[in-house]
Amino acid sequence: MDHGSPSQEHVSHLALDIGGSLTKLDYFSRNNECSNGDNNEEKSCSKESLLVSNGDKKCPVLQGRLHFAKFETSKINDCLEFIQRNQLHLGGCQHGGAPGNEKRIIKATGGGAYKNADLFKEKLGIFLDKEDEMDCLVAGANFLLKAVHEEAYTYIDGRKEFVQIDRDDLYPYLLVNIGSGVSMIKVDGDGKYERVSGTNVGGGTFWGLGRLLTKCESFDELLELSHRGNNRVIDMLVGDIYGGMDYTKFGLSSTTIASSFGKAISDNKEIEDYNAEDVARSLLRMISNNIGQISYLNALRFGLKRIFFGGFFIRGHAYTMDTISVGVNFWSKGEAKALFLRHEGFLGALGAFTSYEKHGFGDSIVRQLVQQSPLSASHAGYKIHGPLNGEWNDNESIECSVYVN
Amino acid sequence: MAGPRESPILETNDIKEERREEVSLDKNKPEDKERERERDNNMAPPAGSSIHRSSSRPQLDLSKAAIQGNSEERDPTILLPNQSDDISSHLALDIGGSLIKLVYFSRHEDHSTDDKRKKNVKERLGISNGNRRSYPILGGRLHFVKFETHKINECLDFIYSKRLHHGGIDSHSWLTDAPTNENATIKATGGGAYKFADFFRQRLGVTLDKEDEMDCLVAGANFLLKAIRHEAFTHREGQKEFVQIDHNELFPYLLVNIGSGVSMIKVDGDGKFQRVSGTNVGGGTYWGLGRLLTKCKSFDELLELSQRGDNRTIDMLVGDIYGGMDYSKIGLSASTIASSFGKAISENKELGDYRPEDISLSLLRMISYNIGQISYLNALRFGLKRIFFGGFFIRGHAYTMDTISFAVKFWSKGEAQAMFLRHEGFLGALGAFMSHEKHGLDDVMVHQLVERFPMGAPYTGGKIHGPPLGDLNEKISWMEKFVLKGTEIIAPVPMAPPGTTGLGGFEVPSSKGGTLRSDASALNVGVLHLVPTLEVFPLLADPKMYEPNTIDLTDHGELEYWFTVLSEHLPDLVDKAVASEGGTEDAKRRGDAFARAFSAHLARLMEEPTAYGKLGLANLLELREECLREFQFVDAYRSIKQRENEASLAVLPDLLMELDSMSEEARLLTLIEGVLAANIFDWGSRACVDLYNKGTIIEIYRMSRDKMQRPWRVDDFDVFKERMLGSGDQKPRPHKRALLFVDNSGADVVLGMLPLARELLRRGTEVVLVANSLPALNDVTAMELPDIVAEAAKHCDVLRRAAEAGGLLVDAMVSGQDGSKESSSLVPLMVVENGCGSPCIDLRQVSSELAAAAKDADLIILEGMGRALHTNFNARFKCNALKLAMVKNQRLAEKLIKGNIYDCVCRYEPAR
Repeated sequence: MDHGSPSQEHVSHLALDIGGSLTKLDYFSRNNECSNGDNNEEKSCSKESLLVSNGDKKCPVLQGRLHFAKFETSKINDCLEFIQRNQLHLGGCQHGGAPGNEKRIIKATGGGAYKNADLFKEKLGIFLDKEDEMDCLVAGANFLLKAVHEEAYTYIDGRKEFVQIDRDDLYPYLLVNIGSGVSMIKVDGDGKYERVSGTNVGGGTFWGLGRLLTKCESFDELLELSHRGNNRVIDMLVGDIYGGMDYTKFGLSSTTIASSFGKAISDNKEIEDYNAEDVARSLLRMISNNIGQISYLNALRFGLKRIFFGGFFIRGHAYTMDTISVGVNFWSKGEAKALFLRHEGFLGALGAFTSYEKHGFGDSIVRQLVQQSPLSASHAGYKIHGPLNGEWNDNESIECSVYVN
Repeated sequence: MAGPRESPILETNDIKEERREEVSLDKNKPEDKERERERDNNMAPPAGSSIHRSSSRPQLDLSKAAIQGNSEERDPTILLPNQSDDISSHLALDIGGSLIKLVYFSRHEDHSTDDKRKKNVKERLGISNGNRRSYPILGGRLHFVKFETHKINECLDFIYSKRLHHGGIDSHSWLTDAPTNENATIKATGGGAYKFADFFRQRLGVTLDKEDEMDCLVAGANFLLKAIRHEAFTHREGQKEFVQIDHNELFPYLLVNIGSGVSMIKVDGDGKFQRVSGTNVGGGTYWGLGRLLTKCKSFDELLELSQRGDNRTIDMLVGDIYGGMDYSKIGLSASTIASSFGKAISENKELGDYRPEDISLSLLRMISYNIGQISYLNALRFGLKRIFFGGFFIRGHAYTMDTISFAVKFWSKGEAQAMFLRHEGFLGALGAFMSHEKHGLDDVMVHQLVERFPMGAPYTGGKIHGPPLGDLNEKISWMEKFVLKGTEIIAPVPMAPPGTTGLGGFEVPSSKGGTLRSDASALNVGVLHLVPTLEVFPLLADPKMYEPNTIDLTDHGELEYWFTVLSEHLPDLVDKAVASEGGTEDAKRRGDAFARAFSAHLARLMEEPTAYGKLGLANLLELREECLREFQFVDAYRSIKQRENEASLAVLPDLLMELDSMSEEARLLTLIEGVLAANIFDWGSRACVDLYNKGTIIEIYRMSRDKMQRPWRVDDFDVFKERMLGSGDQKPRPHKRALLFVDNSGADVVLGMLPLARELLRRGTEVVLVANSLPALNDVTAMELPDIVAEAAKHCDVLRRAAEAGGLLVDAMVSGQDGSKESSSLVPLMVVENGCGSPCIDLRQVSSELAAAAKDADLIILEGMGRALHTNFNARFKCNALKLAMVKNQRLAEKLIKGNIYDCVCRYEPAR
């Protein structure tokens, strides 16, 4: 192999999660230079990479960082190009000394790992080694919750509050992965889990319906719109039915949504007569609320204390998290709390990454550091008060150590 | 109180006891209608007056209001259901965001004739005091009507035209045609009860009395589930299956009401419930999003669209993600929806590039699945076995029900079942109705409600309605217009959408072969007739397990067969019906309208066998009779029955002489042969109608009897004989009382059953002839029987004395003096009505006098196809039962007894 990219040798591993709407990838680099790819998805600053010997173990430890990137699956060529440009695919299962001759294998998960297998082989000459989606999700979540210091947080009334979770008191929990659809997984331990429920009303529904209703060009645009909307224009509220009054007998305040989009039936309005912002907002509330409710009911069913929400639907979007939290809080009468993960979108990809056996990743990391770039949060013990809009920048990387056998 | 029709009875000199009672009654009750009525309404009548009162109570007043003075006629016209619609006592409304649901109650005549026969029967059966419950509740009908909320004016017109707003229970305005009562209130629920309160006050001068929505929903559901048999059903892959729910096991259940939003209510008992959950993704979401995405003008249009949709074009399926493969590890098949509308994200299509049909279906599936899932999770949470889904979103729409059922099944892994209610949309309105303090429906039992499906009345039932039709004439015009204009007619709307009734045989529009059709599966909701005098036949061995119908019409083959039979028989029936009304132009017009209406019923049934709930052959046959009555054919076979009765009575003396010359044993066999042979005279059987043209009655009878070669196909005669005559020297005790369920007029009753009755009387057994309350085909009615018996008694002392003892010969009381002396020592012959107007009989709903007569009975004889084969063939009784019939239908013979047409059934089953 004589590809001459300077970053090539530093990229150790790549793993993919090819979902219905988004393709997520994460890769490990021990490059000590700033890799300034022109794609703004990837602009992490880096630190010195160290080679440390780790206690009793005689294997080398690679100090480096995990990078995360995402692409729309419909634009998978962008993703391929990104991989190609950064030579990420060459770092996969390659053993030093004997490049070229081996099948290059990249761990991949998500439905698209099946669908796009041929494409990857054709374009990049790599074989996608398919890892089960649920396995990956759970492995990714377990890894993050155990290894990353401030990974989980609650989001209530615009207030982000990190929650320190005792490694020994982690299980069982409910993992709700909101991708195009929603999977609800009861996790009992490493590799021990069961998909107990799910719903077909998920991120794909938000985006799909949103596109049809608002003509937005991207998911982010739609989210952005929802931020400025007012759902009361389209939703039928309890007050609309009861002449502005609460339905106190059942504890329904007049502002409770009685029927999402319910006002659209009585107004003689066309779709064009509604603000896209309001439509997006109603849609978001409908879907978030619904997911929150079904999740809570499932947690209740199995007596699970914690519900972690992950997946790309959330994207650290404040209002989404707020609605889910409100949903869980409302239905549980305050007894359950929704928890979110900073790396929510990358659970599957992370899980796939940890499935490279030789890393012994999940349980052997001695030290990690969370790097937030661009950092705009103030530390106060375990609590970080994030910006009010809660938008999490997914361009960060996790600094970590990886053992190399 | 005793009105003009009753006074002659009081003056008859032979009924001393009754007279005393009347006198004492009169002392208690001055002739004050007003007070009388008040007391009726306040229930708890004083002991001793209940019978008299309950049978005659509002009748006079009501008939004045409802019928045009025909009560004095010799054969008074039976009061037709729709004529008395105007006399309503309660109205309740459920004003929702999209639909207004109306439930109103109209009191009506006690159909049974309040004649002297009945009075005598009551005397004889001892059903005057204390041994029957009194009936504080009024008989009447519960009507269900819907309007679209944005057409609220139509609703107001309807209320106004039927004067429903005058009809509060405490208002007597219908009596006096008094002007609007300014203080009238109407119970109302639903959000619109607030919104439209002023509107109602302005337009109708009534105040809406607002009832809590949840209270009403629960009260409505509880009432339906307890009072209506087979109200609930499951829905799987387009198949409805009705479920009978034991009252004692009803609670707790989860009630999911899908309106604009969704409420999930845990119901623990009457008035005991808790709203445990809900979702904001409901019917309003479907319609709202649907409108925005498809530009549909109405909810129904949107539903209709979904029927032709393919959600795969827009939903992201598991297979789309996994390259066509299942995700088998977690049990997701490739066709499972992974993400509703998920495909809309990856393709560069605009809204306009998607078919509205596909969008509607995706939306429907998304929302239905979601509701099903959340409902199941809540049921699970509270350990509830049953989930009932109601509310306007469902509308009997097959696909909606299927998706909800699928979701519940999917998520519960088959452990939970979704159930639906036939009156789904009317829960709230019914509950509001129930909130009347004195609605009188508290104690209504299943057996007191009879559901009817009027055809010519387009404003009845589950559909949304236009302007009301006033009288029969309008109804007929409507039918004619309907046929003329075919599918184009818009208003008034028939019960089923025009295109789907198949009325007049025009083409049914676009049916998607093999798939579910929304319109076809919409349920018809009939008028609930509340008949407080109906009771469960007390001699049923196991009333809970009793199923009257032998033939299950949910078997499509059967349905098709009977559809053909009834269709072929229709022209003949119409001829008879028209002739019975003198063959006038008016009668012809009504006959045509009847034929169309009934054909439409049949066509509808063929399309959707469960359109009318759980329907057996008995119900189908009754539907025909009801349909006839609706078009005012009171008794299509009147003249035929009369002619045949006369002819048979003429030869009866000869037959009796012949019988009397026989030995006891030979006579019993000949009598049973005679019953079977005479049963050939049946206008309900096509095969027999052909026979009629080929001989005289007595010829056919004798020929038929001579052919009675034993053993019959089902032949328990020897067991019966042993019970009757004993074996050897052992003489068995005679039966105390025998109930003879008679079938056809003419030879069947006169030459078959009467001689058998006579034999029983001779052996010391009291005989009660049980006949129809209302005409059905040529079946003899309880009204006609006394005259027949009186005529037969002229030639037979046994019959005469027994009839006198039974009080049947009041009219012909020529030798009254010595007759009354003997009567004490004689066993009586009585006649009671069975409470129905069908050629079959459902023993769960019989008249109270039959129930009373059954008290001392230890032998039941069911005669004829309708009552012994089509129904009750498998019924078991607490007393001895003999079922006698000739099978006059090849298919039935094969199916039931593996035999042939004209085979005979003599089935004897000792008490169990």
